[in-house]
Amino acid sequence: MLKETVAVASCSLTFFGLSFFVFGYDVIPVVNGATIVGKAAFIGVPPAPRVFNVNKGPEVCGKVRSLEKIQVKNGLLKGVVIVLEGVKNGKAFETKAFKAKLPGEGEFQYESGEVLNLDVSQKKCNFGPVTGVVAKGQPIEFENRDPIKHILRTYVLRGKDANILRTINTKNLSAHSKMTQTLSSKKLQNARVVALTCDRHDFMENWMYLVDSPYFAISDEGGQFSLDQVPPGQYELVAWHPELGTQKQTVNVTVDSNLEVSFEFNQ
Amino acid sequence: MRDDWFVCLFIFEGFQKIPELFKGFHISKKITFALVLSTTLSLSAILGKAYAALLDGVMSGVEESLASHVAKKGEQLLTGNFYTAEKPNAHGPIGQMGDHTHEKGEFMWSYRYMNMFMKETRQGTNTVSDAVGRGLVGSSISPLSMEMEMHMFGAMYGVNDTLTVMVMVPYLRNGMRMTHSNGTAFTTRSEGLGDIKFGSLWRLWAVEAQSIGAHRFHFNFSVSLPTGDTSPTDRTPLMGGNDNMRLPYPMHLGSGTWDFYPGLTYGGEKGRASWGFQAIGSIRPGKNNNRFQKGNALDLNVHGAYEIVPKWVSSSLRFAYKYWGNYSGADSAITKNVQAAYPEKLGGVRVDVLAGVNFLLPEFAGIETRLAIEGGVPIYQWLRGQLETDSVVTLGWQGVY
Repeated sequence: MLKETVAVASCSLTFFGLSFFVFGYDVIPVVNGATIVGKAAFIGVPPAPRVFNVNKGPEVCGKVRSLEKIQVKNGLLKGVVIVLEGVKNGKAFETKAFKAKLPGEGEFQYESGEVLNLDVSQKKCNFGPVTGVVAKGQPIEFENRDPIKHILRTYVLRGKDANILRTINTKNLSAHSKMTQTLSSKKLQNARVVALTCDRHDFMENWMYLVDSPYFAISDEGGQFSLDQVPPGQYELVAWHPELGTQKQTVNVTVDSNLEVSFEFNQ
Repeated sequence: MRDDWFVCLFIFEGFQKIPELFKGFHISKKITFALVLSTTLSLSAILGKAYAALLDGVMSGVEESLASHVAKKGEQLLTGNFYTAEKPNAHGPIGQMGDHTHEKGEFMWSYRYMNMFMKETRQGTNTVSDAVGRGLVGSSISPLSMEMEMHMFGAMYGVNDTLTVMVMVPYLRNGMRMTHSNGTAFTTRSEGLGDIKFGSLWRLWAVEAQSIGAHRFHFNFSVSLPTGDTSPTDRTPLMGGNDNMRLPYPMHLGSGTWDFYPGLTYGGEKGRASWGFQAIGSIRPGKNNNRFQKGNALDLNVHGAYEIVPKWVSSSLRFAYKYWGNYSGADSAITKNVQAAYPEKLGGVRVDVLAGVNFLLPEFAGIETRLAIEGGVPIYQWLRGQLETDSVVTLGWQGVY
């Protein structure tokens, strides 16, 4: 009797413990899913990009680089992360790729599957676009394709006003090297945003929103975005930009519907 | 004046008494090592938990408060960043050890040359003649001068986000000029490997914002191995000049014991200025094979530095306080014919003021190269009839990859 109790208790504890490490999203076939399309706009005059003189590896990075966090074209805003919060099951993750704005050639590549795998292909001193997404507990593969080293620093935004950047990881990313970094759930507790920077190059700055489902999009150069195969239900649609903050809308998704939304940001 | 003029010094003296508590207990070296190792691991675990609790508990409140303060100026508070790039004063003055930590996977190699020159005898805070010096202990010989040179080879490596480990291998060369009461002057020398030190630096807490500058704290903990010779000998004119006499304690190349060096380091910077504070203790538990124990010590450092030429040159000013206790026990093979051979007379206090310059050279092949020099003189010394320090100079090279 005692042995059985111990065995049951052990199994329960093991299952309970493991449940913390399982990605909290189930892939199911989505029939009659809806589509959400929209655009992100910017009102006003965007600030000029910050310009940096490059001291470490100018032969690779260029002598002068800029960081343009607010990218606006004809009043439409690029790089807004759109996330449908609270989706527990639905479509699988899709293969997507987002390239950095030149002159850097970094790229974020998301692989299809049941979890979010992110490959960061870092080239010419650029990790990738200014904004992106990551998932808790999922590995991020970094490939430094430069002949110089970068020092990768990962922060999370914390604090009740989200104005504390806490370092959660630093890593020497040697020339032509690869590494895998997994953002542990413990370090990401109460966090929604992760920042990637290079300690050696101030212009290398990327902001990632934490997601737990494939229902995310990033607005393109025309400020457009779309989410498809959305299961019917009521959700909160979040639009987030690292410089311009967060906006939320409640959306009621019905079968086979086409929903149009828009977000307007200003400084 | 007593040598226990600060309360903390009583604590250090107290460590010297620990071995006496265990007199009569015969514990093998293996068991002692296991006890020390398990205690260290337990303490590390407790410290790790305390650190996590501190970070998530008390310090998160401090961080919130600071974040609110800097938010009024449109800034974000950055925490946990220990990296300072492209600043010659990102590293402390070259004469100070364990002042900075490294990023995960980052290596640093270093070489330091240190020279300390001592001349004339000091009793208390006054310089006294050789004859008075001899009279203090009733010896026939008094020291005239001493030069201590050290070549220190070091390496540091960032193991992870929290821990930086280091190793320091010293090679020492000592020379002491002495005079006999009959007027005969002679020099004795000792040379060889010193005590090899293995160290660890644990990042504790760091905050920064443009308006408040950067403030970083780390914990230091090192252990030195008794690799330095505590039985150096040399010829003297005594006994016909043929015997190899065992040299007095200051001529030794090590302590002969496993020593521990706990400490706390704070570094700050804002704009082109930087500053820092460091407190490091030297704890020497137990006596060595020659039946004596070198005194415990306490080092306090305060420095300020300024980037004179941005990204190239910085200058620094440092105040270094050093307390070191008397030796306990005695090596019976050391003849008591000079003040330096009296273990109960070897403690002292010294405050140095040191000026330094750090150079940061352009990066080559991914290696960040630093050159530095620092030199100074004592502004206060309290000794028990020993040679007083005249100058301290350190030259160094550091390469970071």
